[in-house]
Amino acid sequence: MTNSISEIRDADCIFITGSNTAESHPVISYEVVRAAKRGAHVIIVDPRRIPLVRQATLFLQVKPGTDIYVFLAMMHTIIREGWADEAFIAERTEGYEAFKAVVEEYTPERAALMSGVPAEQIELAARIYAFGERVDGPSVYEEDRGHSTILYAMGITQRSNGTDMVMTLANLAMLCGQVGQPSTGVNPLRGQANVQGACDLGCLVNVFPGYQRVTDDEKRLALAQAWEVEELPGQVGLTIVEAMHAVAEGKIRAAYIMGENPMMSDPNTSHVEQALRGLDFFVVQDIFPSETAQLAHVILPAASSLEKHGSFTNTERRVQLIEPVLPAPGEARPDWQITAEIAARYDKKMGVDRQLDYWRYPSAAAIFEELATVTPIYAGMSVDRLRGEGLQWPCPDAEHPGTSILHVGKFSRGLGKFNPVEAIDPAEQPDEEYPLILTTGRVLYHYHTGTMTRRSEPLDWIEPHGYVEVNAQDAAAVGVEDDGFVVVKSRRGQVNTRIKYSEGVSPGTVFLAFHWREAPANMLTQDFKLDPVAKIPEYKVCAVRLENPPEKNLVSRRESEKVR
Amino acid sequence: MVTVTIDGKSIQVETGTTVMEAARDLGIEIPHLCYHPELSASGGCRLCIVEVEGRAGLEPSCQLACADGQVVRTQSKRLSQMRREVIDLFVSDHPLDCVICDKAGACLLQKYAYEYGVSETSYDLEVSRSLFQDDNPFFLRDHKYCILCGRCVRVCNEVIGADAIELAGRGFESHVATPFDGPMIDSSCIFCGSCVQVCPTAALMPVSRRGKGREWDLDRIKTICGYCGVGCQVEYALKDSRILYAQATPDAPVNGEFLCTKGRYGWDFATHPERLTTPMIRRDMAYELGLTDEPWHLPDASPLAVQQPKIEDSFVPVGWDTALDLVAQKLADTVKENGPDSIMGLASARCTNEENYVFQKFMRAGIGTNNLDHCARL
Repeated sequence: MTNSISEIRDADCIFITGSNTAESHPVISYEVVRAAKRGAHVIIVDPRRIPLVRQATLFLQVKPGTDIYVFLAMMHTIIREGWADEAFIAERTEGYEAFKAVVEEYTPERAALMSGVPAEQIELAARIYAFGERVDGPSVYEEDRGHSTILYAMGITQRSNGTDMVMTLANLAMLCGQVGQPSTGVNPLRGQANVQGACDLGCLVNVFPGYQRVTDDEKRLALAQAWEVEELPGQVGLTIVEAMHAVAEGKIRAAYIMGENPMMSDPNTSHVEQALRGLDFFVVQDIFPSETAQLAHVILPAASSLEKHGSFTNTERRVQLIEPVLPAPGEARPDWQITAEIAARYDKKMGVDRQLDYWRYPSAAAIFEELATVTPIYAGMSVDRLRGEGLQWPCPDAEHPGTSILHVGKFSRGLGKFNPVEAIDPAEQPDEEYPLILTTGRVLYHYHTGTMTRRSEPLDWIEPHGYVEVNAQDAAAVGVEDDGFVVVKSRRGQVNTRIKYSEGVSPGTVFLAFHWREAPANMLTQDFKLDPVAKIPEYKVCAVRLENPPEKNLVSRRESEKVR
Repeated sequence: MVTVTIDGKSIQVETGTTVMEAARDLGIEIPHLCYHPELSASGGCRLCIVEVEGRAGLEPSCQLACADGQVVRTQSKRLSQMRREVIDLFVSDHPLDCVICDKAGACLLQKYAYEYGVSETSYDLEVSRSLFQDDNPFFLRDHKYCILCGRCVRVCNEVIGADAIELAGRGFESHVATPFDGPMIDSSCIFCGSCVQVCPTAALMPVSRRGKGREWDLDRIKTICGYCGVGCQVEYALKDSRILYAQATPDAPVNGEFLCTKGRYGWDFATHPERLTTPMIRRDMAYELGLTDEPWHLPDASPLAVQQPKIEDSFVPVGWDTALDLVAQKLADTVKENGPDSIMGLASARCTNEENYVFQKFMRAGIGTNNLDHCARL
């Protein structure tokens, strides 16, 4: 996030898109509720009538994959009507003219035709966002323009044009000067406890800790020196989805998987399974025998986050300490101990001679001390300083108080760059054979691949089985009753699950969460076209059809449910 | 800005600040039951009454806006007498079974009854509410302990936005109700437990806590929730190293006193019997290594197609030494044969910064590849 969570409650306008905030980030939705109760506008652009729509003042229900037209049309309107923040554009940005030329083509009428949202609503959203208008109540801010903030999540990024989508939202914010002040900004809500930290610490194919590019010779050399190695790999590696393809080509032969469950989380499950089975060797380090672990050659038992020391970095870049609450079960160990032990033994097997304590960290705190020295955005942090409220990066030195708002007065790259982005449609469009669009996501009571929440008694009590949300119109077309079984088919595979009539999805769209191993949504999703830059799969749009299950199957499944 | 004097201490506050808030800023605690700093004031409990110089009547401080030059007293003989009467009325409709109550030690009514020396009620009344609702595995609703402060209703509406409950009925019939007094699951409740968090008495209690120990005997450890990326701080209450319940505390930097259903109730996975407790090697590889006599082949059926997979059917438990050595050997063999870029490492968004750092350092400085990713995109 460019801004911090606690600022949301003071926003004058909150623009939420591609985020089912109330179910995926409930505590952030509480901030939105509070703002709404004080009179802020809440605009939601989403293909589904998500729970937070109850608090919204404007809900633009788009056809999946067409939101880009709405954003472009909002910017078209803002420029046409002279609502842009000209001073901000002139002082703090570049590339405006080229961007403006592109946006000119995207009228609200065109967006209405593509997305199904009336042009007047798009224009209204544009005005409210641009000026940070309120429904009522006083603003805590004194400028002419109210403060508008954008919240988004995987609905924007898990697209074959995800990078374009994010740049479009950044363009919108810059166009209205809604950056670099409290309660503004472009705020991705990140979905996992330490996904921010894992990225910050360089668990990505193209960057070392602190987002230093692996291709940057100077940075690479400096890190090699710090780590006391001759050289470090300077070529961008393969992302998870690319690696799965590379197994078939014989390029990837072995895998070390820590706390991941690609059998449930990666697109096109059948292909993932084929790839995992094709590995000469793979080891899974986890807390449960996940669907992925069941295929591994070796399983190593890890301590959960309730059982160890360390730190997590949250979506607002806040690094906070975690504490052990419970003893680890049996022989389970913290992941860092396991990895360090493997590394030390690996060195021996390879005949690499290093200092004895190279991989022998005495504690998690000792690791933090080391990582702060090679991660510039964490450089001023120490375990002592993290006690209490933690620190938000960038925190470059020991006196630095941390950064709650990014891009204040100046963008981190200097001038904010308008990227001229054209609308691109999703890679797989519905057709006669597969007439519906499937969009995937989460439900409130489960988390990611369900490894933990499916094993939590109260949470699984409330959502014990999967279901596909279908508009009654589409459900009637296949003739399946509410709560009856249905087959969802795509070009990749099929899933048998229950149907749930829902007014939350429009005719032509169905929704399936990816938590349930009995109804693994990623059997259906596509892995043939990723975002060209971020290599993210398009989980939010693929083409499917609904079918009646074979009667025999239906009966036996219903009975097995009863037994459960 | 206005300046008020409370109990002889002066403070300058924003216009619109209440006396209750100004007092809190001064570190003066005014007794209260229905007031909660995160919620709108309802002025219903009358316990927070104060004296204002120049005014005859007593005023509820949670609804009294500070005025310039105002002089306020929060403690006096008259106030004590009035508060005793208020508490007396509350306990006339609340069981005084603190000796067996799970909330004892954390109950606000008990605290003020103690502070004001109210050991019993002077009224000859029976507790008017008897409804006990245990219709979900998250929390219990025991209406006899309810004092109708309305905090639960306000938090559900003002912060959570769920609007699952409302005050229903009149007089002795009043109670906090779901629509038609139906089970929670049929309401718009999202089981975040914020009502339980703000409840001052034992009317709303976590199921997991029931009969498990006294408040003052519990250990408390704060950490960060392991689910989504919001980074809520959770305080776990434990007895004998077992979690009894989770709550949030006002000083939590991100979430204050609020959590979602997963953070507050989804911690029991940690002690689930399926936790991995020992290193294991798949049976076919174990056979190759001579660790088992029975040959075995990985079934063709997908793990997703198996109803209830048993991990011990496919794996044999081994010691750490054997497992770690095997992993190191296999990775080394692969690199020797096919080069470092034949290895793929997947780190984890559920592991700590320290663990991810060591993992990527091993992949890069140890193995020598950037084939290193995690579920950031998934």
